[in-house]
Amino acid sequence: MTAIAPPRASAPATPPGAPRRTLARPSGRVLTAAALLLGLGVAAIWSIVDLEVGLNQLERGLANAGRFLQRTVPFEWPSLGDVLWLSAMTLAIVVLGTLLATVISIPVAYLSAANTSPGGLVTRLLGRLIGIVSRATPDAFLALAFAMIIAQGALPGILALGLHSVGMISKLTADAIEQIDEGPRLALRAAGATKAQEFWGGIWPQILPSVIATVLHRADINLRATVVLGFVGVAGLGLELSLGLKSLNYREGIPYAIIMFALCIVFEIIATSVRSTLLGVRPSGRSLGGLLARRTVPAAPVAVDPLKQPWTPERRRLAGFSRSSIVVIIGALAVISTSLPNFSLFWQNTGIALNRMLPPQIDEAKWGSVAEDFLITIQVGLAATLVGVILSAVFGAFAARNVAPNPTVRGVFRFLLVVNRGIPELLLAFFLIILTGLGATAGVVALAIGGIGLLGKLVADSLEEVDPGPERALRATGATRAQIFFAATLPQAAPAIVGHVLYLLDTNVRASSLLGVIGGAGIGFTILQASRINHQEMLALLIIMVFVVLAIEALSSLIRSLVK
Amino acid sequence: MSTSPVIRLNDVSKRFGATQALEEVSLEIEAGSVVVLLGLSGSGKSTLLRHLDGLEVPTSGSVEVLGQSVPELRGRALRALRGRVGFIFQQFELVGSITVLENVLTGALARLRGPRLGLPTYPKALREQAFAHLEEVGLAAQAFQRADTLSGGQQQRVAIARALMQDPEILLADEPVASLDPESSDQVMNLIREIGLRRGLTVVCSLHQVDLALAWADRIVGLRHGRVVLDTPAEGLSKEQVMEIYGRVATSTAEIAALQDELLETVAAIAAEENAAR
Repeated sequence: MTAIAPPRASAPATPPGAPRRTLARPSGRVLTAAALLLGLGVAAIWSIVDLEVGLNQLERGLANAGRFLQRTVPFEWPSLGDVLWLSAMTLAIVVLGTLLATVISIPVAYLSAANTSPGGLVTRLLGRLIGIVSRATPDAFLALAFAMIIAQGALPGILALGLHSVGMISKLTADAIEQIDEGPRLALRAAGATKAQEFWGGIWPQILPSVIATVLHRADINLRATVVLGFVGVAGLGLELSLGLKSLNYREGIPYAIIMFALCIVFEIIATSVRSTLLGVRPSGRSLGGLLARRTVPAAPVAVDPLKQPWTPERRRLAGFSRSSIVVIIGALAVISTSLPNFSLFWQNTGIALNRMLPPQIDEAKWGSVAEDFLITIQVGLAATLVGVILSAVFGAFAARNVAPNPTVRGVFRFLLVVNRGIPELLLAFFLIILTGLGATAGVVALAIGGIGLLGKLVADSLEEVDPGPERALRATGATRAQIFFAATLPQAAPAIVGHVLYLLDTNVRASSLLGVIGGAGIGFTILQASRINHQEMLALLIIMVFVVLAIEALSSLIRSLVK
Repeated sequence: MSTSPVIRLNDVSKRFGATQALEEVSLEIEAGSVVVLLGLSGSGKSTLLRHLDGLEVPTSGSVEVLGQSVPELRGRALRALRGRVGFIFQQFELVGSITVLENVLTGALARLRGPRLGLPTYPKALREQAFAHLEEVGLAAQAFQRADTLSGGQQQRVAIARALMQDPEILLADEPVASLDPESSDQVMNLIREIGLRRGLTVVCSLHQVDLALAWADRIVGLRHGRVVLDTPAEGLSKEQVMEIYGRVATSTAEIAALQDELLETVAAIAAEENAAR
């Protein structure tokens, strides 16, 4: 018989005398997520070692810089007319490609969002699948395929950007739809509205700010992408740049890179000012697009003449934006119409192209080298992400209002992030490849530096968005700045930051597949070769590429769901 | 004098998974009457109202509104019926980012073909009509403000204007003042009553405050656990009968006590007001 222990006032689970448990038992979810993240980290470090990424390669590159400069300066600038025309062509491709993607994305988002999908789970998965496949297919390779069907020029670029951008735009739009306030929509349904009226009257006004922000962001990404598109023959600045560089005629080629860089910065400035002045609407959701559109609500206008809508500053801005968008789109159509191919042979050419591509297959002798190419591509993505994360942690922290020691430091780091965003990472990669040769270092360094602009900004935003209450509470207890950061700020922001890091990994693996197109290492080079010689192999490689990207996305969405 | 009922429910039951929201509810409402559905939260008032607009389909039983069997209506016919029935929500449910006037105009969607976005996409005649409705609720001056810049009471008045835009024959209101301060509450309730009388509408309004229901309705229907437990004209009810109502609407003695306290407070508040007025 056991003695009955006397009841205790505060009964601990541990028997008397045994040490009290002071650490929480880790949950399975946390352990799994930690193991996966650790695995990714180890893989990234191994990649850096295995790829022999090192400073000595960069040193050798510096030694080459002198010779490179000798062959580059003085520049041979193209005429002003050429510059304007090529810039217009590039911008027209970006505008129409992004527009096409937006038009396709709205129905895809409608299918994908849980609260609008007409056929339940089936149509929802269909919508998400369209988005995922579109996102996983790199635009440069789409452009290659389209060029085979409808001849090279501007149109393959528009179609490639249009199809590839659907992935991102539809996903962010679907997220925005899922986060709307359902009430107004129900009110319209109760008033007898059709499904279409419900969408445009009750949902669209709520998601519009998020959509505008997403589309501007995507247009910015697409402008950078035109550099790579130029290397696969899409008209515009990128094509001239690639022609100059491929013929080693740097004096004529490099000026186009400088123009491209300037164009990117100008576009970034325009996009930022549109976002901050036009969207006088608080985005209702907390999706990435919504974050980009965060804005204050302007003061309510006073109606003067009761039957006329007053021209408030907000209305003037909206009308100005709508009109200039229409002008821009018409202008873009006019520019593109000068270089439209002949469509009379479209179906015949499609048949020929498909005939050459089907069935997809790879020569058995090449399997080893193809596997190695894919491995290098993934390694470069992993290594670039690790280096990028380390750099972004520093930049992001100092750019966050609640972490930076003073406003000046924050301002400087925010400015550096904006400048960094202005540099197309593949252009950077190109210079590094010219300087350091074909090794993987150039790609890793370029993607890592390019990643700071994106990840650094997202990290800074996530840190600034944490609930300031706990920070204040810790400050009141006398904690130091660093203690507050690690005890209050970081734990709140951590899930969001992990999500952003995985997003960067996705982006980097895709970008790393494109490095080969501009002369770097990896699968891109093999695909480019195959596009000239063996179309069956090209298609097979593209399909494998899509699955590799999908696998990485699946892994990161698994981790994301574990840390949520 | 009485016409045939415009709303007729027969043995309506509704289950959501394991919860029984409505149980064998039978109810007839005459044209032009002002009825309050009285009950605590979870008693099935909202669910009942939503059945009348085809927003819910009963598990069993029949729902007939304006001579049509609502659960059998689909597509265009259902939308046409909804167009004849105005619905006012507790949370107003305006689209915050568009103007007040456009929100009112969305009430006319059932009469229009295709989606609309932006004021110019609505015919001018409708815009003028919407303006007239805004004048009726006293908010014409705010017509071009964003809806989310208005106060709660103002937003609910816009929602009423939106319902009027449908030119309804029946007006349903689901706890229309539960999210409002007392002053806005009075304003909104008076407005609904006034508009209902002026246009000869059938008004069905759910409430949880007994005193408000007594002062406002022609007829009170009490609900508890999805069952009709009371159906009486509101006029000439004595205080004892009121307490009886409390007893039947509430589900436990604790709730009855709470409601009694509430009533006493209300009585005290009214007395205090009267004193202050003197």
